Amino acid sequence: MSRTRELIAALRRDLGEADPAPPAIHVERVPDPPVRVFPSRRERSRLAGEASAHTTALVGIGRVGTRYATSVVLQFQAELAVAHAAVGQVLPDGWAEEQGLIGLSSQVRDHREFLLRPDLGRRLDEASVARLAEDDVPKGVDVQPILADGLSAVACMGSGVELLEAFSEACRARGLTVGAPLCARFARVWLQDPIGAAVGAKVAAILLGERPGLGTGDGLSAYLVFDPKPGNTDGDRNMMSNIHHRGTPPAEAAPRLADLAAAMIAQGRSGVDLDLSGVAGVESGLRPPQVRLPLVETGGDLS
Amino acid sequence: MRLSARIRGEHFTFRSVKEVLGRANAPKSGDDLAGVSARSPVERVAARAVLADITLEQLRMRPVVPYEDDEITRMVEDTLDEAAYKAVAHLSVGQLREWLLETTTTGPMIRSISPGLTPEMVAAVVKLMSNLDLMVVGAKCQVVVRANNTLGLPGRFSSRVQPNHPTDSVQGILLSAREGLAYGCGDAVLGVNPATDTPESTAEILEALHALRTTNRIPTQHCVLSHVTVQMKALAELGCPMDLMFQSLAGSESGNRAFGISLALMDEAYALMRERGTGAGPNCMYFETGQGSELSSDAHEGADQVTMEARCYAFARRYAPFLVNTVVGFIGPEYLEDGPQISRAALEDHCMGKLLGLPMGCDACFTYHASMSQDELESLKVMLGAAGCAYLMSMPVGDDIMLNYQSTSYHDVPSVRMLLGKRPTPEFDAWLQETGIMDGDMPGPRFGDVGVLR
Repeated sequence: MSRTRELIAALRRDLGEADPAPPAIHVERVPDPPVRVFPSRRERSRLAGEASAHTTALVGIGRVGTRYATSVVLQFQAELAVAHAAVGQVLPDGWAEEQGLIGLSSQVRDHREFLLRPDLGRRLDEASVARLAEDDVPKGVDVQPILADGLSAVACMGSGVELLEAFSEACRARGLTVGAPLCARFARVWLQDPIGAAVGAKVAAILLGERPGLGTGDGLSAYLVFDPKPGNTDGDRNMMSNIHHRGTPPAEAAPRLADLAAAMIAQGRSGVDLDLSGVAGVESGLRPPQVRLPLVETGGDLS
Repeated sequence: MRLSARIRGEHFTFRSVKEVLGRANAPKSGDDLAGVSARSPVERVAARAVLADITLEQLRMRPVVPYEDDEITRMVEDTLDEAAYKAVAHLSVGQLREWLLETTTTGPMIRSISPGLTPEMVAAVVKLMSNLDLMVVGAKCQVVVRANNTLGLPGRFSSRVQPNHPTDSVQGILLSAREGLAYGCGDAVLGVNPATDTPESTAEILEALHALRTTNRIPTQHCVLSHVTVQMKALAELGCPMDLMFQSLAGSESGNRAFGISLALMDEAYALMRERGTGAGPNCMYFETGQGSELSSDAHEGADQVTMEARCYAFARRYAPFLVNTVVGFIGPEYLEDGPQISRAALEDHCMGKLLGLPMGCDACFTYHASMSQDELESLKVMLGAAGCAYLMSMPVGDDIMLNYQSTSYHDVPSVRMLLGKRPTPEFDAWLQETGIMDGDMPGPRFGDVGVLR
């Protein structure tokens, strides 16, 4: 027998030849772990309570070993699911018409293409170009409002119509003429340029779903541009974000956006060159913290 | 030079090395968007076969952006270490891959030829490597750097605490930072992305992080990731403490113009930091990159996103940085569509950065409109740890409440460390032992307890 074989044999003797699984050890009744619950009003830790005054970051959530408690995992998964559901939702066929809006579409054909081809989401398809040329779409208006899905059709279908109507009304109250109510599917922000150019509007305003964050799929952003036309860049636009009932409610956002449109027309420009004095809440760059709500409630009885 | 290959009777020819580099890439939605990717899986392999036979010397002669047109290309060419280059110039890309993988090729050997490699060479070789190849080579390359602590040593795995806040509330930032430190995170940097890009706001956060660090005598660094010109004002005019200076980099002159920077500006920033920075080591810069950023500003110069990413690292190495990380999944699905693409890009970026001599970390992350699951992201963290990645990010449950994306968490970093038997930087490790946050390589009695911090 070779030296190696001898060593292997000796190793086997040392390891033993019986079943290598260790015998089960007696485990006493496992005590209930301390309650570590995603901070709710009733059961949050002192630290989490203090922290919630300053941040919506999930601090003070404790740990199990180096991992999260079960309730934290479920809250987190619920928040993630809400965000993913918002991204995955497509504006249903005919939804715009049911709301009394004129339906338009970018050149994107399906949801995956929408995510992968931002260039196509910025161009109108042929049918939409033809639809905008029809007589029931007023031309040469001061403001052309456009509701759109953007990255959250959920937000668009949530408070979109409310914002569109309140904004249009606020523009009229300021003596501005307002275009037909439009609703664009598979739309990126820059789609406001070909639409605004097609109707010859002074200002195009696109109100569209924001990229969802954790637990938030219902935020709308509004982007306004003076002299809409393909070739405008981000620097030519002004925007307002976080429009939803837990952020800036539509009723509050609408008059500010109408003020913004009026300022653009009065000054004959938009974007970085626009003087924003007298226009509140626009392009501050700061998004107020989202209110973080416990998303998971359980009920039922298995007994 | 031969630029054609035949597979099962099908003949493929390519017009240029740049075209071969694009077609040889692993599938990426951004390369599809740029129109530079392979048109079929078979063509991809044909391009790789062609690439495998191209020598490093031939690659040096054909940068993807011409010398005359681009200051990054000029800087790479003019500062290349000729002695190191001569040692490997004759190798083909296929041979370079084999040399890197040989067990007789050690980390210090790779480190020594690194200054002779151009970004095109490094990008080319990773196109011939599988994920596990990338991990094996990445783990071999150790890049050790020093500021207030020593990062990148064998068996070490570090993290940035990223306590961002949507309105820059200093109290909110400090609450999050303390929590991260209590979980043993933050040895790479306490680094905040500010919501407001002004010198005053930058200075306010820098002062607060500095106070947290000095009050608790924590051997780490602090940084506010505003635009470099804003940080220069905060440092030179407001005189606030700054251990690391940050900037996002692109791989082309036009891409850097879109970021509002240039080679001359970064030279100036680096000189200022060397003179006035408050860190205690020779390394004082922090850079972030990410595949697709050039294409997003139409500054990719017709090249693929892996090659453009490698060019960012060549830019970064000029400044001997303390930290460099790719923010791999941040840019969105039009550049990296899903979990496999994001994971692949993370391993590519880590390996390329290491080959070019950088202490590479990674922001393993996704936005909520990319197709990546939380489980895939957790797997990626372990793969990066196994690949010798220097550091990850960390924040409460991985949720950045300011930038709205999903990254790594205060709980993930100690979990990966325990799984892989890794520890934080030695100086920081000693602090964790002293405070009782850690006990050896296990969580200590004060683990997760913010009461340990003042």
